[in-house]
Amino acid sequence: MAYKPNLQRTWWLQHRFFRAYMLREATVLPLVFLLCSLLAGVYSLTSADAFIAWQGFMAKPWVIVIHTLALLASFYHALTFFQLFPRVMPIRLGDKSVPAVVMIAAQWSGTLTVIALFLWLFGGGL
Amino acid sequence: MHKEIQIKRYLPEEHAEPFWQTFRVPYDETTSVLGALNYIKEELDSTVSFRWSCRMAICGSCGYMVNGIPKLGCKDFVRNYPAALRIEPLAHFTVERDLMVAMDEFLQHLEAVKPYLIAEPSEPHKPHRQTPAQLAKYKQFANCINCGLCYAACPQFGLNPEFVGPGAIALAHRYNLDSRDQGKAKRMPVLNTHDGVWSCTFVGFCSDVCPKGVDPAAAVNQGKVESAKSMLIQMFRGGA
Repeated sequence: MAYKPNLQRTWWLQHRFFRAYMLREATVLPLVFLLCSLLAGVYSLTSADAFIAWQGFMAKPWVIVIHTLALLASFYHALTFFQLFPRVMPIRLGDKSVPAVVMIAAQWSGTLTVIALFLWLFGGGL
Repeated sequence: MHKEIQIKRYLPEEHAEPFWQTFRVPYDETTSVLGALNYIKEELDSTVSFRWSCRMAICGSCGYMVNGIPKLGCKDFVRNYPAALRIEPLAHFTVERDLMVAMDEFLQHLEAVKPYLIAEPSEPHKPHRQTPAQLAKYKQFANCINCGLCYAACPQFGLNPEFVGPGAIALAHRYNLDSRDQGKAKRMPVLNTHDGVWSCTFVGFCSDVCPKGVDPAAAVNQGKVESAKSMLIQMFRGGA
């Protein structure tokens, strides 16, 4: 005789660790919306009217709110990803392993470099 | 000082369902959760059943859920809990009696990944030397004591008991990284499956609760890199 408790659907609400995990996974939702918006933009290039309509859609306040959320979500996801990366891909140079903090700093430097490059290319300079 | 300790009891010959029982236990700064359980067993109710042995986080027997978090009873202290303690059997396992769970599922997964050196020594009677650098590659993963806390912390194992799970994969990874081992090709088919490394979504709680700092989540996700390489090699060889 024995029993086995079933995992309830609300398991992820039980502990802050699981809630943080679900938040990390949920970052995909606003990012999917952003991707769909960008895909719609590509399709709208087929006609001038469609492109103007798409520009109007992109300027709507609620769309801007979701896209801002997507930006924040991608930063949060990057934060969690960069923290996990040294554990998944540990780098050893000779006998010594590269400290996690160096790898995390290198990833953030790369991200900031790309952001600076895009601002310079499309934003009319820093 | 006294503390209220609630234990989730299960006495199948008396009650069909598990029930909570509260005990009032004296404690001081040095009382471990296991110490409190032993006090209950010796002084209050001798029918309370739980596993324990070494009292020093070596044997891995005294894993319980303490206020919902998997803990080793000997390494966790009553003083850490300002309010009452609720002790339950390890989550995601079949409960046989009180705080005792059947570890069969974990042991089956452990056996499946062949957690031992597989090697044909060229000179059987001579020691197989290993440099400190070769040892450093796997040493962290060799600290596992098979306590099962990582399984109780893993929601993916809770949802799918077929998932090989953090502890067994960490040990598979430990032997795959060992310079003396030649058994990687025998372990990878188990890790390459959906129930192998790919069921893990890097929740990471297994590493948080590990009492020995093994970081099984890192092992599982390093295993994904190895699995991807292994599957790619098989594909090019036409063996997939």
